[in-house]
Amino acid sequence: MNYDFHYTMSRRRFLAAVAGAAVSASMRPGRASAVDERLIKVAPGQARFTGPDGPATSVWAYNGTVPGPTLRLRQGQPVRITVENGLDEDTTVHWHGIRLPNAMDGVPGLTQSPIGPGQSFVYEFTPPDAGTFWYHPHADSLVQIGRGLAGPLIVEEAELVAVDRDLVWLLQDWRLASDGQIAGGFGSAMDASMSGRVGNLVTINGTVPADQGVRAGERVRLRLANASLARMMALRFEGHRPVIVAVDGQPCEPHEPEDGRLVLAPAMRIDIMLDMQGDPGSHYQVIDDFYDGLAYTLTTLAYDSAPPLRGHPLDAPVGLPRNPLPEPDLAGAEHQEIVLQGGMMGGGKLKGVGGMMGMGMMGMGMNGGAAWAINGMSMTGDGQAGMAPQFTLKRGVTCHLTMRNETAWWHPMHVHGFSLSVISRNGAPVPHRQWQDTVLMAPKDTIECAFVADNPGDWMLHCHVADHQMAGLMTVFRVT
Amino acid sequence: MKLTYRFAAVAALIATPMPAFAATINAVMYKNPSCSCCETYAAYLEQNGFKVDIKPTNDLSQISAGLGVPANLEGCHSVVVGGYVVDGFVPVDLIKKMLAEHPAITGIAMAGMPMGTPGMGGQKTESWKIYAFTKDGKAPTVYATE
Repeated sequence: MNYDFHYTMSRRRFLAAVAGAAVSASMRPGRASAVDERLIKVAPGQARFTGPDGPATSVWAYNGTVPGPTLRLRQGQPVRITVENGLDEDTTVHWHGIRLPNAMDGVPGLTQSPIGPGQSFVYEFTPPDAGTFWYHPHADSLVQIGRGLAGPLIVEEAELVAVDRDLVWLLQDWRLASDGQIAGGFGSAMDASMSGRVGNLVTINGTVPADQGVRAGERVRLRLANASLARMMALRFEGHRPVIVAVDGQPCEPHEPEDGRLVLAPAMRIDIMLDMQGDPGSHYQVIDDFYDGLAYTLTTLAYDSAPPLRGHPLDAPVGLPRNPLPEPDLAGAEHQEIVLQGGMMGGGKLKGVGGMMGMGMMGMGMNGGAAWAINGMSMTGDGQAGMAPQFTLKRGVTCHLTMRNETAWWHPMHVHGFSLSVISRNGAPVPHRQWQDTVLMAPKDTIECAFVADNPGDWMLHCHVADHQMAGLMTVFRVT
Repeated sequence: MKLTYRFAAVAALIATPMPAFAATINAVMYKNPSCSCCETYAAYLEQNGFKVDIKPTNDLSQISAGLGVPANLEGCHSVVVGGYVVDGFVPVDLIKKMLAEHPAITGIAMAGMPMGTPGMGGQKTESWKIYAFTKDGKAPTVYATE
């Protein structure tokens, strides 16, 4: 991969650079301790989606690359990450799925002041859970994620997991115009009130996927992360039997997905174990068939002609060690319910904008207006000061949360600061001990889940289709 | 290209004794893959003498814009028929009227998703405005009020 990086030095940025130097200097004593020090610069850059000789697309990038650098942290080891903002607008970084102190959660207004142009912010936390996470902005999210700001965050297990290779596929979906540049029109009413800004080009780790070279007999741990604004995916690995070992970073009971399809909504992660049992020299397609009539080949597993690495699949168990999640006490739980409302075909449940029927999109989601609501309330944007909590939980209590999707659309609902133990979907128990921070809700779905409110602060709960979040599908709850 | 289609449509209409011989009218519908109301509307068109080729697309807003539909009139589907564009739940009589009269417009659109329209079902509770639009940047005009 080849990226140009241009950075024009204005006076303001020059001052920022000086400030950055001061930050670096002050970091030095920290290196002697166990604190892991990292630096991330946010700035405009360029990406070549089709390879080094392909056309350049202007993007916004972390450390000059799309996606941003893979942050590999260690479970239980403190990290200090300095983020420098080289954009012309505010930004923040949200460490998606990491259970961390509220002040480090990266929500502008709610948990921190936004990082202004030329400013920096130091995030400090100790990841309690090993697994696959990702990081992205939580300011002007639709535009900033849509222009490329996203990166994988891997927290390594304390003990090595027995695999031959550990790979990450960070999947991004781009809406490009005919000139190969990122199309404008972010936040259009149609996108806001329907399926969001689904794009027309999918990349794996920043490039349009070529064949993925594999070796017969090897076991690969493949970490799938959907960093798209809106594109849902359902991946099938032809000729293979992927075993899901973790969802949203949290290990589950190893199981094969229903119908062999790995359903991966925006912001979701799935870790799979893939035993490469194809013949040397053979090829197998990886197909995304989420949308009816729009299936396409994402990439191809291309077996090397070398003889198999071993005669039988690896003996080692595929299961991962559990993370230290607090077990919900359902008997003593406090019950809360959130209801998702609005959108096209929304049934007129949206208060404040006169209902959906009869006005269609002419008034929905336009110019930052609301197209969606949670419990009749539309919180739009990315977060700001003074967002009143929908409910308050006393610290330590178990919250039994019901989420009902009254809309005609799909919503990956993301909770900040916690992982949810998913109990049931439409009355049917959810097997395999699944914990998720991003729960995909099909139209009209009802989900029962639970979590222990062990982390104080004001936390967001929102749809991770960025257009939906911006247009009102967001709420806040408080843990005292 | 569009003119060719339009003349062809006109020629077909002139050559065809109306309305006794109801020839099938071919239409292409571009729709959001996750929207069900579009399919209801397609079925309505099919019941009224159209043959609808449904093309789901995630690029609908770009396609609709490319077809000339003004942003504030864009619905969850755009239909191309006889060289014209029909956006939203426009009643079939108005489409046939447009195809017969071949006005110098790009297409017609019904904004929003009013109750009672083909596609939404339910009872009609208000009057509907159907707009005509062109590609020359002029504001849409009211084509019909139902």
